[in-house]
Amino acid sequence: MRLHLYSRFLLRQGSVYSGLNFPRQFPSARTFHATARAQVIKPFLLADIGEGIRECEIIQWFVEPGARVEEWDKLCEVQSDKASVEITSKFDGVIKKLYYEAGEMAKVGKALVDIDIQGEIKEEDLAALTEPGTGGISQIQAQDQAKKPLEAQFTESIQPPEASSAPEKVSPPKGKHATLATPAVRHLTKQLDVRIEDVNGTGRDGRVLKDDVYQFAKQRDTAPAQLQSSPSAPRGPQTETPTKLSNTQYQMFKTMTNSLVIPHFLYADEIDFSNLSELRARLNKGLAKSPINEIRKISFLPFVIKAMSMAIQRYPILNARVDTDPESGKPILIMRSQHNIGIAIDTPSGLMVPVIKDVSNLDIASIAAELNRLQALATTGKLSSKDLSGGTITVSNIGNIGGTYVSPVIVEKEVAILGMGKMRTIPAFDENGAVVKKQICNFSWSADHRVIDGATMARAAEVVRSFVEDPDSMVMHLR
Amino acid sequence: MAPSRGLRPLLRTRIPALKPHARRYSEFVAAATDPSQKARVFVSQSQDPYLNLSIEHYLLQRTPGDSTILFLYTNSPCVVIGRNQNPWIEVNLGVLRNEELGVKLVRRRSGGGTVFHDEGNMNYSVICPPSEFNRDKHAEMVVRALKSLGTEKARVNERHDIVVDKEDKEGALKPFKVSGSAYKLTRLRSLHHGTCLLSSPNLESISKYLRAPAKPLIKARGVDSVSSPIANVGIDNFKFQEAVAFEFRSLYGTLSEASVWNRSIFFVDEKAKEVPEIAYGLEELMSEDWIYCQTPQFKFSTKNITETDSVQSIPSSWPPALRGIEFTAKHGKFTEVSVDYNDRTASSEQIELPLLNKLELHKITDWEQLLPPFLFTDSDRNVAVSPGRTMNQLFGMGNYEPSAYVRE
Repeated sequence: MRLHLYSRFLLRQGSVYSGLNFPRQFPSARTFHATARAQVIKPFLLADIGEGIRECEIIQWFVEPGARVEEWDKLCEVQSDKASVEITSKFDGVIKKLYYEAGEMAKVGKALVDIDIQGEIKEEDLAALTEPGTGGISQIQAQDQAKKPLEAQFTESIQPPEASSAPEKVSPPKGKHATLATPAVRHLTKQLDVRIEDVNGTGRDGRVLKDDVYQFAKQRDTAPAQLQSSPSAPRGPQTETPTKLSNTQYQMFKTMTNSLVIPHFLYADEIDFSNLSELRARLNKGLAKSPINEIRKISFLPFVIKAMSMAIQRYPILNARVDTDPESGKPILIMRSQHNIGIAIDTPSGLMVPVIKDVSNLDIASIAAELNRLQALATTGKLSSKDLSGGTITVSNIGNIGGTYVSPVIVEKEVAILGMGKMRTIPAFDENGAVVKKQICNFSWSADHRVIDGATMARAAEVVRSFVEDPDSMVMHLR
Repeated sequence: MAPSRGLRPLLRTRIPALKPHARRYSEFVAAATDPSQKARVFVSQSQDPYLNLSIEHYLLQRTPGDSTILFLYTNSPCVVIGRNQNPWIEVNLGVLRNEELGVKLVRRRSGGGTVFHDEGNMNYSVICPPSEFNRDKHAEMVVRALKSLGTEKARVNERHDIVVDKEDKEGALKPFKVSGSAYKLTRLRSLHHGTCLLSSPNLESISKYLRAPAKPLIKARGVDSVSSPIANVGIDNFKFQEAVAFEFRSLYGTLSEASVWNRSIFFVDEKAKEVPEIAYGLEELMSEDWIYCQTPQFKFSTKNITETDSVQSIPSSWPPALRGIEFTAKHGKFTEVSVDYNDRTASSEQIELPLLNKLELHKITDWEQLLPPFLFTDSDRNVAVSPGRTMNQLFGMGNYEPSAYVRE
């Protein structure tokens, strides 16, 4: 009966999405995985355990609602006449609901638990979530849903555990959540070959924390108890903590490794932002009174982006891509018509580079609006693969955080990148020799020296500079 | 020793070599976890049922995922109940505790019903990858072994048990069960184990161990044992071991040339206790918590037993005043207890029932203390009644003669 409700829900979702006609996206370099992501809590069905058995008894549960599980973690043990079977989870996620109590008969092919899936779902695993009848519809829904990057696995903020006492043979009564642990802790227990039930958790409700596992492993390996090995002691030997890369980090690792083949050269320049600041202040006053596209404030970035687009107009090689000619096997340049400028954004889960498409045909207000939209999506982790793909050149405003000169790494399938440093006020001389305040910012360009020579880069950089330093000149190019 | 020879002869003292039979457990661990072994036979030299089951569990968890293992062992007298069974339904605990034979109570990790093991009974265990698991495959293998030793009428029946067709008194062929099986399926490995009655001296008394007096009074979920008539195959232990090992080798010996097929049998002895995982599993199997508290929820009730029923279920000598004891036990602990002596009692002894809540059933060693005897007035006669004694007999507590526990 519950399954009927779910299937109706799925049906409705499916029809909404098919109506919207989302264009199918082919996975590009920027998408992280080619598999689908579901966002609802799914019932996980009891798989066929073979031998024509239609129902079996739940002997004991190893999880409870709220427990975090990883793929292959034991969910429960069931028994059917002579066979006792361990049921393991196919997904990473959080258990939301158990459909049976220990001692009840569970039906094969019906829901066993509800799991909030937080990993990828492979096509073949979709079958474990849906009954045969509703399988097709949920597949459509899964594919039409925007593909998005995985949530990074984060470690909870861990309270520092108290100094450990000598291990006792009699273990203290386990807390309610004695076997609950974050994925990072579970990974650690597997690495150190520790059973999580053995470790006394010092976290809330008896949760096992990383330090607890380390302590346990250390005490298990060295026979005498070591009272001085307190994890919170400020002085101690060098501790190495192997940490798995989050998905975002892993993607960064992969793309940057690929970027290694590009011979970079750095071209840096100091840009006078004084005029632009003034213009911006004036514009913001006007926007505060009558906003365009809901924008009340505009930052420097849209101006820089537009300036870049104009430079690319003059020097289209900056928008190109290096590839190999399939016939001759020789390197060729693929010129691209649209200026898709990627903006490097620091999000809670790591570095993301969403792309503003077709900047040459956008005005600054639209660029600003699009920038806001992408930033909002990035902070909530909801960037779609469409937003992340198709870039032709990139801007990285690390100056928001700090830094003067940077040496940015060119993104795969591009030939140039701009890194902006922090804006600062310095004293300078005007034409009369008097000391004036100037707002300057350092632009550091990196370019692919295989196809771009220093002169081209310099000229393009000069174009950007002149537009940024003298934004009024952009008026001449207004269409 | 002449000084001119130097001190070298003195220095050449011999370090005594390790006695070959004092096998360190590390050799066992190495043999079990060797990834190049695709098929291997282990035989236990211990008769401790808890240790043997722990070794079996260790082999299930630690042998390489693509290997197939045969493990043979014999146990000293014990009653082995299935993972999810109720000892108070399956076993006569009173006889178990008070019989001279000193039979142990064991709960195994695989499912299925209750069996009686002793030295005339050999157990075989096959651990294989799930892709090759099949309930009959290894039962057939054992049947081939039995046939090769002269038991021609051995076969696997529809319940995946091994039966031998024997002529009964009328000359008709009846199947007698000689081997029962149970299974444990994990993600990476599948285990099938079974026991084979070779020459058990206790065949006649097995039934008295397996008939629990409290059985008709308990309602529970869980797997019931299916009882069948049993018989001995009549084969020597050693011959059986060799025959099964031979059949196993024939089945798995012709593996790919690359795999190293070790023809020798590895003997596992008591030293295996020192392997940490085995020690851990052993402790768990021997703990009362595992044996008694893994019982699924059940309800015991002496109410609603009509006079006609009582002829079969409760001996009629048990007083009607007894009827009125009810309790539910979850994880082996009392959750609801009620005692109602249906207003025919002379005395009005109140029992402190809340005390019982959360206590473990198996820890109550004397029900007479909880339910003191009283005088019962029945049609002008005063009869001394002791419901506590009856409960003791039902649950196998107190120290009476074993026959006191046997249901008529």
